[in-house]
Amino acid sequence: MTDQAQLLPGTLDLLILKAVSLGPLHGYGVLLRIEQISRGALSIEQGALYPALFRLVRQGLLKANWGTSDNNRRAKFYELTAAGRKRLREEANGWHRLVAAMGSALATEPEEV
Amino acid sequence: MSIVSSIRSLATTLFRRSRMEADMESELSAHIQNRADDLERSGLSREAAKRQARIEFGGYERHKEDCRQSLGVHFIETLLQDVRFGSRTLCKSPGFTLVAVLTLALGIGANTAIFSLIDSVMLRLLPVQKPQELVELLRFNPSRGGEPTAGFTNALWEQLRDDQRIFSSVFAWGSDRFDLSRGGAVHYANGIITSGGFFNALGVRPAAGRLFSTTDDQRGCPSIAVLSYGFWQDHFGGAQNAIGSTLSLNNHPFQIIGAAAPGFYGMEVGNKFDVAIPICATTSFDGKRSRLDERSWWWLRMAGRLQPGTTPEKLKAGLKVLSPQVFGGAVPLDWDSEGQNDFRRRQLVAVPAAVGVSELREQFAQPLTILMIIVGLVLLIASANLASLMFARAAGRNKEIAVRKALGASRARLVRQLLTESLLLSFAGALLGMLFARWGAALLVRYISTTQANVFLDLSLDGRVLGFTAAIAVVTAVLFGVLPALRSTGISLTAAMKGSQAEEGNRHASSRLRSGRWMVASQVAFSLVLLVVAGVFLHSLRKLITLDLGFDRSNVLLVNANVKAAGIPAAESTAIYDEIENRLRSLPGVTSAGRSSRIPISNNEWEQEIEVDTPNPPKGDDAGAYFTFISPGYFQTLRTPLLAGRNFDASDTRTSDQVAIVNETFAHKFFPNMNPVGAFFRIVDGRVGRPARPMHIVGLARDSKYESVRESISSQAFFPASQIPQDDDSEVFELRTGTRPSALASMVQSAVGQVNKGVSLEFESLEEQVDDSLVQDRLLATLSSFFGGLALLLAMVGLYGAISYLVTQRRAEFGLRMALGAPRTDVLRLVMRDVAAIFGSGAVAGVLFSLAGLRVLQKLLFGLSTHDPATLLEAILLLALVAFVAGYLPARRAMRVDPMIALRYE
Repeated sequence: MTDQAQLLPGTLDLLILKAVSLGPLHGYGVLLRIEQISRGALSIEQGALYPALFRLVRQGLLKANWGTSDNNRRAKFYELTAAGRKRLREEANGWHRLVAAMGSALATEPEEV
Repeated sequence: MSIVSSIRSLATTLFRRSRMEADMESELSAHIQNRADDLERSGLSREAAKRQARIEFGGYERHKEDCRQSLGVHFIETLLQDVRFGSRTLCKSPGFTLVAVLTLALGIGANTAIFSLIDSVMLRLLPVQKPQELVELLRFNPSRGGEPTAGFTNALWEQLRDDQRIFSSVFAWGSDRFDLSRGGAVHYANGIITSGGFFNALGVRPAAGRLFSTTDDQRGCPSIAVLSYGFWQDHFGGAQNAIGSTLSLNNHPFQIIGAAAPGFYGMEVGNKFDVAIPICATTSFDGKRSRLDERSWWWLRMAGRLQPGTTPEKLKAGLKVLSPQVFGGAVPLDWDSEGQNDFRRRQLVAVPAAVGVSELREQFAQPLTILMIIVGLVLLIASANLASLMFARAAGRNKEIAVRKALGASRARLVRQLLTESLLLSFAGALLGMLFARWGAALLVRYISTTQANVFLDLSLDGRVLGFTAAIAVVTAVLFGVLPALRSTGISLTAAMKGSQAEEGNRHASSRLRSGRWMVASQVAFSLVLLVVAGVFLHSLRKLITLDLGFDRSNVLLVNANVKAAGIPAAESTAIYDEIENRLRSLPGVTSAGRSSRIPISNNEWEQEIEVDTPNPPKGDDAGAYFTFISPGYFQTLRTPLLAGRNFDASDTRTSDQVAIVNETFAHKFFPNMNPVGAFFRIVDGRVGRPARPMHIVGLARDSKYESVRESISSQAFFPASQIPQDDDSEVFELRTGTRPSALASMVQSAVGQVNKGVSLEFESLEEQVDDSLVQDRLLATLSSFFGGLALLLAMVGLYGAISYLVTQRRAEFGLRMALGAPRTDVLRLVMRDVAAIFGSGAVAGVLFSLAGLRVLQKLLFGLSTHDPATLLEAILLLALVAFVAGYLPARRAMRVDPMIALRYE
């Protein structure tokens, strides 16, 4: 657990959108999916997930429906809306550009200047 | 309807809210369950798994609160919760709540009272149809310059009425008083004399009968009258059969044809009409000299309703074309050619009249603005005291706040809760304050009413006043609530939970002390400003009251007698006046009696141009003199000494030599370095066929004031009442007595009744007459003193509280000092040095503010220099004394600290 990275501000929303884009999930499932797809490298305070989920629903990027989970508990499942899909695409592109720019900036060697 | 629907929407919100709360709860607990299941599967015991799951989840309540925030639906919910909690907390400390609400009620109430006066005098639209379309017409002489003035002759009105095409309607009105009595003591009703289209143009409907129409206002019309709703109710009990009955106005019968709708008081703010008559009906009052035809009688005001879409440019252009037609058709034919040409050059200008017309507005606009600033400062000072109270309260709630923080309340949420408490206090204060304000504003209106002018203002609540009160309630709550709320929620959790006051407490206390000092110093500064303002107004008023007016105002009864109503022919009026004067002089208790065409210090003025044959005589406007026609008893009764020559006597008759007595200023101006007695001057008439009349000066009187107490003395000439050139409807008798003047009234009434029962009488004392002219000064002096005193009291409480707190904080230090051998007086000196520092910084700021403020007030003050160092010094000394007392009491307590107890306490 020591090599976990802190989330940059604003990235939690993007992670949630990505996680949900792979299939409808309930809250705990979102957490597990994020751990899975980040290979356990990102730590999230679990409770902080829910305000973010509620916010995304309110912004119309996610929609939520009550259903039954695999262990037969009543659970709320989150799904991406069309607007959410679009937002995910935009944010992901933005993120890739940023990573590429930062990567090339940080990789600069003295002789390249 | 809207209330029902808003309740319904609130109910749905609350209902939906409870479901949402349940959903959220089940979703979050499911998460923890799922996590616990997973952990259990990985080998933990059930209990350990549950515990671990909860720890990983983080602050449960805090996350829930964040979720609520994200859902964003619970604004009203939280507000209600805060209000409920706030009210409970406030009810738990009733003493604090009572003091806070009362302080706020006084402060907000004073602000609301003054603002409601400003609203009704200056801001409120006339309660008529589309008041924004109304403009008043004024006249302006481009070749002479100066301000445009109101006032038109009937000839001008008739020209406007018949010629104009700019306005959708025009109307005119004049104000007058109508005597309702039939002889004896007068009983006046406020009258307006209106053009036929007056009510129609304003869109006023009848409450009973009918109102005037243009066909009612034609020469030779019958005497008809319309009542105001209030007068109809008060005098006739609103009886239907009052319509059609007759009403005696100035001893002439008028038939009542209707009553106007309630809420319409006329065009003038500060005055309400009782009876309206059409312009044409004035012929019953006027004799040969009718105001319908007299082209130098400027008694009407004119206004119009703009056609929709009239731009200011179009209006201006239209008036430019209209003006020569209107003035050209109404030239006074008896004026000389120069005067007539001047008359033709005059122009009409239009000014917005949506808020009505008002002399009151000109008189009180500035005083009301100043009072608004004064009460605003008082509220600031009160807010500072409340902030101190809130700080003290917050210090006592440290633990409560720490617990709530630990349970997951965010700082913003706590600040919001505390601010809700402040707002609750503030609105409770505002509600109570509105009661104070209604009572206070009514009291003020009564205060500015004089015997001559009974001020009427519509003080009913309107949206603007309510909005203002709500706004200052919010601003005040923010002022006194924000700092304490921020400070008290900024505490560190661990220190507060441990209950140790040591390190954390000290940091907290010292910052509180600093802001406390800062607040008290600003209170001192503002109080000083208010004291200085009160001081200068008091000084100014005292100077005005004690000023030598050139006559002795005490113990003089004024009797205004009107012989016209009695139907006495003009030729006999002088004889009647003489007889009345003789009878009054012989009344028991009357030491001397006189009469005059006017009373000093009244608006009734008569000014004409004077010509003399000395070298380089004054010319034009500089050559004017004010006239008064008097009987021989006048000077003796008013105790204005004659300095040279003779008084008027029985030998001065209508047919004898035309004689005059002049005052010192007249003599210096027209006859410098000469004895005026025996000299001649001429009165320039300015009318065709009236040569300047030569006057023989027979006496010289001491200077006295003519129109106002404030004026610098102007040239005056007195003439014998027996030589008055035109019929005088009314004259004023002055009776000097040894007792209270008003005690004479009934005797005077029966004495005059023996001469002629039809003469109407009006009583007032000369002292009241002079006092009434100073109503504005008295208002400012009284109110600024009241609020200055209030500010002083508040500052004293604030200082006392701040020093008390300081002494408590430093108890241990004082104990230690004394234990180490410091004499008690050293401790006293230490505390008093603090008091002096706070007072000093406040006083310096206060002096600077005051000096800036005094410059603005200069115009309203009488006989004071811009700095008025005496007043400044007095205010500083008074404040210093109060500060000393407020600081000394806690300082003495500090001095009496027992070192042993103080040290053990630590």
